[in-house]
Amino acid sequence: MNDHAGLLQVLDAGDGEFLRPDPDGARAAARDKDRRLIDKRMSEQDAVARFVSDGAYVSFDTNTWRRGPSSLMREIIRQQKRDLWVAAKFAAHDLTLLTAGGCVSKIDVGWMEAGRVITEAMHAGRIKLYEWSNGALAYRHLAGALGVPFLPMRYLGGTDVFRHSGARLIEDPYTGGAVCIVPAVNPDVALIHVNECDVYGNARTFGPGLAPVETALSSKRVIVSTEEIVDTEEIRRHPAQTTIPYYVVDAVVHAPFGCYPGSVPGLYRADLEHLLEFGAAQARATMPEYLEKWVHSVPSHMEMLEQRVGLERLERLRAEETHREGYYS
Amino acid sequence: VTSISFTDNEAIITYTARLMEADRLHFVAIGGPPLLAILLARETHAPGIAYVVEDGTIAPEMPMPAPTFMIGAGVASQRAVAWTDMNTVDFHAMRGYIDYGVLAAVQVDPYGNFNSTFTGGSYDRPTRRFGGPGGANEIASLCWRTILMTRLQRRKFVTSLDFMSSPGFLDGTPGARERAGMPSGTGPYRVVTERALFGFDEETRRMKLLAVAPWASVDEVLDDMEFAPLVTDPLDTLEPPSLRELDLLRTQIDPTGRTIAGDWILLEHEGHAYRRSLSPAAAR
Repeated sequence: MNDHAGLLQVLDAGDGEFLRPDPDGARAAARDKDRRLIDKRMSEQDAVARFVSDGAYVSFDTNTWRRGPSSLMREIIRQQKRDLWVAAKFAAHDLTLLTAGGCVSKIDVGWMEAGRVITEAMHAGRIKLYEWSNGALAYRHLAGALGVPFLPMRYLGGTDVFRHSGARLIEDPYTGGAVCIVPAVNPDVALIHVNECDVYGNARTFGPGLAPVETALSSKRVIVSTEEIVDTEEIRRHPAQTTIPYYVVDAVVHAPFGCYPGSVPGLYRADLEHLLEFGAAQARATMPEYLEKWVHSVPSHMEMLEQRVGLERLERLRAEETHREGYYS
Repeated sequence: VTSISFTDNEAIITYTARLMEADRLHFVAIGGPPLLAILLARETHAPGIAYVVEDGTIAPEMPMPAPTFMIGAGVASQRAVAWTDMNTVDFHAMRGYIDYGVLAAVQVDPYGNFNSTFTGGSYDRPTRRFGGPGGANEIASLCWRTILMTRLQRRKFVTSLDFMSSPGFLDGTPGARERAGMPSGTGPYRVVTERALFGFDEETRRMKLLAVAPWASVDEVLDDMEFAPLVTDPLDTLEPPSLRELDLLRTQIDPTGRTIAGDWILLEHEGHAYRRSLSPAAAR
């Protein structure tokens, strides 16, 4: 026996509320999923109605600036989902929109676009924040993906972030040093935008990213939106490109320009004019008008693209993304 | 008499770039001043400089001029040696492969702890809320050395932070970081401002003034800090940004001027004697 084999000692603990790790619940959700190769294509309306409930913990990847599920998040606002708890592991103005839409009540913060909407919602008591960091949230998703209840890591300790989180500082039972542990997160639903996917959900994400694989694997339900539906024969010819296998995925939503107004590198650039319009709406407190124009007054993503953006602008965004290397070559 | 003008942010980015070493590995967030400093170093004294980005990009070769909207631009990750993800590059930092973390701070205290979460009010009702630590907490904990970038202002160099988002030497006692679970031998290394450069005392872990810009005095620097740092004797001089550095920043590295924008510093100089010009044009 060594000196440290006694009772595990907790040296310090953060005060923040956290979603209770649920590896067995996540396993049960996995057990109940269909293992067959079945066509999982559905509309964004159906996917969000079926898999995003009020009160759900939602995790998305990446964000609305780059290869994120912007169309799915607009659908969440359109369906007026309420009381969501969101993992902001590098969230962009997507989180601002969800908050402006009245969908969010809790945010686990790594980094978020923190403007007028978020600050006012905090002051009004409509949203509650918990502190982590981008890396700590990605790591909590990794723990969730591994099916373990927590993981040790070597940061957060000693800071106010630790104090406002659900992290613990423990005595390492093997060496006796101090080590921080963070709880796994098993989101109720993951929203992941991918470059290519077949009808069964075998998905490819190209380029650097936050944590698409960990986000999918840690979550109980997984909605994948995809720029392109590819043939399964294409998937089988290049199996090394598959990052998320079909049995993890619950819904496949075909969403060309699904990250709009952001960019899917290699396919289309971000619409900077739109981002300025968003910025102005936040600065001038006209978010309701912005949401009416871009979300509520159009019944679907495709209709939003046709009626609000227009084919000409979309073609320009595609033409001006001249960089293909590493993505599509 | 010649005159030269630049913004405070251009000075901060330039001084930081000069600290970068070509043969070391750096960790930066996805956009902002730290990334610009690395790019400036690459275009001047450190052509092969390598950096990893929080999004999992390892050692990219971003083309110049840099893209307008870096976070959403594929070319920012171009010609990397690997495209991984956030957990993977954090593992590389946790394993000890990353020498410098380069970060921007909203507030910093005498031990190099820093804030990027909120200022004023309370946690639940902040006067000004910022994005949060992002990757700063892990970068400042796991890289061997941390370089912080911020403006020299009394409300930024504070005795007590409104919120400690990321660690410096914590309370400055020996082993404080290790007792909080961080790897040993790590910590803040430099704090770069537009008028002064700071390091940290080996023993007390307190911030120490190392260099001052030639148009600023030590007294003026100390006046703009809430706490008194240690002062090295003799002090080094921070040579102002050169015309070449400014040209690179303005035409290649931040052509839209979004990040380098700031308060203008106008100087008149004869040789190495600099004097701050107070002409009306100095107003931003």
